[in-house]
Amino acid sequence: MNGTWINQSTILSTVTRVLRKNYDLWNYREILLPAIEKNDEELDKGTKFTDGRDFYLVKPDITSQILTRLTDEKPRKLFYISEVLDGGTTGDWQFGAEYIGGENRWMVLEILASIITGLESLGIEEFYIDVGSKCVWESVTEDIPGLKNEVFSALHHRSFDLIDDLSISETKKDEIWRLFNFRDNKCDYDRLNEIIKILDDERVYADFGTVRGMHYYEDLTFEIYSPAIGSPLGGGGEYKLRHAGACGFAFNLEVLLEIFSGLSGGNRMVVDGSPEERLKRAKRLVLGGDPVEVKS
Amino acid sequence: MKIVLPRGRLLDDALELLRKAIPDLSIEQNRQLVQSNGEYQILLAKPTDVPTYVIEGADIGITGKDVVREESPDVFIPLSLPFGRCRISVARPEGDPTPPEEMKGYRIATEYPAITEGYFDSLDVEVEIIVVDGSTELAPRAGIADAIVDVVQTGTTLVANGLVEGETIMESSALLLVNRISQKTKFDLVNELVYSIRDVIRNGN
Repeated sequence: MNGTWINQSTILSTVTRVLRKNYDLWNYREILLPAIEKNDEELDKGTKFTDGRDFYLVKPDITSQILTRLTDEKPRKLFYISEVLDGGTTGDWQFGAEYIGGENRWMVLEILASIITGLESLGIEEFYIDVGSKCVWESVTEDIPGLKNEVFSALHHRSFDLIDDLSISETKKDEIWRLFNFRDNKCDYDRLNEIIKILDDERVYADFGTVRGMHYYEDLTFEIYSPAIGSPLGGGGEYKLRHAGACGFAFNLEVLLEIFSGLSGGNRMVVDGSPEERLKRAKRLVLGGDPVEVKS
Repeated sequence: MKIVLPRGRLLDDALELLRKAIPDLSIEQNRQLVQSNGEYQILLAKPTDVPTYVIEGADIGITGKDVVREESPDVFIPLSLPFGRCRISVARPEGDPTPPEEMKGYRIATEYPAITEGYFDSLDVEVEIIVVDGSTELAPRAGIADAIVDVVQTGTTLVANGLVEGETIMESSALLLVNRISQKTKFDLVNELVYSIRDVIRNGN
């Protein structure tokens, strides 16, 4: 982020205000989670410390924090704004949303649609969402079960070397390479194809080279990015909360801020007059939901 | 397309590889830090900075596996390149036969704190890591370290400084790095270059 901390904070606040409104409109509820959690192997990221008796994590990954905290499988639509630490003293500010316990296909559709409206509300139109599938790769590696980890590792780094070194036929290597490089608005995987078709947005692609690192992802995972910047704007995917399906994502706010060019001023009412008139009128307008700029 | 190359020992081989992979690419030998050539922009950076450049927006980069292992950057690594071969090893002063398994409490000077920590953790040996930025082999002589973890090519620098190479932690060579987003937004260009470099490695031309 450029500029002074107060400018950065103001921009961050503007972006999160727009995203909050977007998720309010989609009927998601904001959650506020504790900064420190007792260490749990299900928790990802965060910075570990000990008080001499137990281990704790400061600001862990929010999805994993929700997974360890929620004890029921009731349908829920949640969003959050939090910093996630990387094991040290620095981290990323994230805005994320989670849809838990709904119908599987609909949860993915709604989360992807909410991402699109969220970015467009910020005035960001030039972006893409690439959706990959863990199940497709599970299926491709079914006949080479002993090499599944190697294939996933190669996929994660898009590594020719790792695939070339595998003791498999050239036909199988070609099949893997075709999938590595598959990116289109339609694909042979019916479930994903249907989602792309219903979304009907030319910025959404099936990309089987897209993988996400978190252990909890089930099938579809996605990455949001813009040609304007070299780091992903965010990503997410499907996961399970005990028996319930769920789908969530997070924006990396610092990356988002790099391409956010501000919003137009809007119609803020300028309130003038005597102090009594100004205050009275300003209060009435604010209670009515109208933004004001009171002359001092 | 922005390509970031490492200054120093990997540069000549990296340039030769690129010239073979992109025949119409002409790069001056004057070590200018930024050179533009048609659709290509070549940037020269410290090897340890190459991953950062690639993460932050250069499309392609070349640096050592040692740097990549140390920094664990979130980039694609499609190819190992056939140059820059070296190893990261433990070295100790001549006359000290202590193996790494018995180095508990040792002060280890290194430019590779993550690799060093990972190695000694794997042995369950607690050491004090002293991070230095170059001339690591001087640290035992200066009395600030008991041993070092450093990159070794021929071993002559170690010998010249009264050190003996011990256990190899990892073998290294140059790697090709690709920005994750460029792989998507410049799909054809990036793939064409990666395939072309792969052909050069396989066929030598």
